[in-house]
Amino acid sequence: MIGAVIFIWAAVLVLSVLVWRREGTPGLQKAGVSALGTAKTLMLRLPFALLAASFLVQIVPVAALSHVIGPQSGITGIALAAGIGGLLPGGPMTSFPIAIVFQQSGAGLPQMVALISGWAVFALHRLLAYEAPIMGWRFVALRSAACLTLPVIAALLAQGIASVLGLL
Amino acid sequence: MKIAKTDIAFISLAVVTGAIAYHKSGPGAVTDALTEAALLMLSILPQLAAGLLIGGLVTRLVSQEKVAQLLGAGSGIKGLTLALVAGLLTPGGPFTSFPMVYALWIAGADAGALIAFISAWSLLGFNRLIVWELPLLGVEFSAIRYAACLPLPILAGLIARYLVRLPLFRLKPPPRE
Repeated sequence: MIGAVIFIWAAVLVLSVLVWRREGTPGLQKAGVSALGTAKTLMLRLPFALLAASFLVQIVPVAALSHVIGPQSGITGIALAAGIGGLLPGGPMTSFPIAIVFQQSGAGLPQMVALISGWAVFALHRLLAYEAPIMGWRFVALRSAACLTLPVIAALLAQGIASVLGLL
Repeated sequence: MKIAKTDIAFISLAVVTGAIAYHKSGPGAVTDALTEAALLMLSILPQLAAGLLIGGLVTRLVSQEKVAQLLGAGSGIKGLTLALVAGLLTPGGPFTSFPMVYALWIAGADAGALIAFISAWSLLGFNRLIVWELPLLGVEFSAIRYAACLPLPILAGLIARYLVRLPLFRLKPPPRE
């Protein structure tokens, strides 16, 4: 976490120097104004979005769904796993520990791939808290539609790779 | 301060989900969620601020024509591949990556490139792979998962470029500076 913050602020510093060398102080001011403009639109909706996401984590019964995604569950299990992945609460620090529970309680490999990919692509929490407030619902709809089949494709590809390697 | 429809949507959502949580688990659940959201807000602020600044700075560095040429609707598979590599290398959480998506959108990238970028960030981001997936789910699983997901951001970008032409998914033009 700390490492990520340092890395990102180092990127800010480098970009600032580049902008300054090209456009001087006015360039930096314009960049600041543009950042502030986006910050203003987020000021009210972001806290409420985070709050709603925290409530959702409490409401959705994720762990109760673990028995439906075993190795024999096939394409139905893959689709379900993708959906469960999308509902996994929070960022990686909360969802990966839950994913381990699924993995150890006997989820199949393609189903686990669908679960992780479903979380990566659909994470409801992230969609609500960041994507919709920043990009708008129309973009969310377009991206979700474009990504709808990705977890299933990933699972089928993984199944193919694993059987070629003799792991299934 | 101007209150947009989106703001009202999020306030209502917080109220409704809060009421359900209260009904289900009592007042403790509500205070838990409030504390968690407040702590989360505080902990992401440094990264969110950086993400917004990166967005603002990037728009000064690259001209609209350049971005449109590299990542616009006419950029083909090459544009989607470039977006994939950029997304894969973008560190940090959604509070950094989505402000960058927004900045690229304003700068002239098309929906396909934006979606390839964010899909690559979420499916293939190095940061998350190394910090979370490898140690927690194992090398074998992570390698297979990663290989299976490698081509998918480009596929998502292609699907998005097709879908965005339909009236249902047509994006409004990005806000101009």
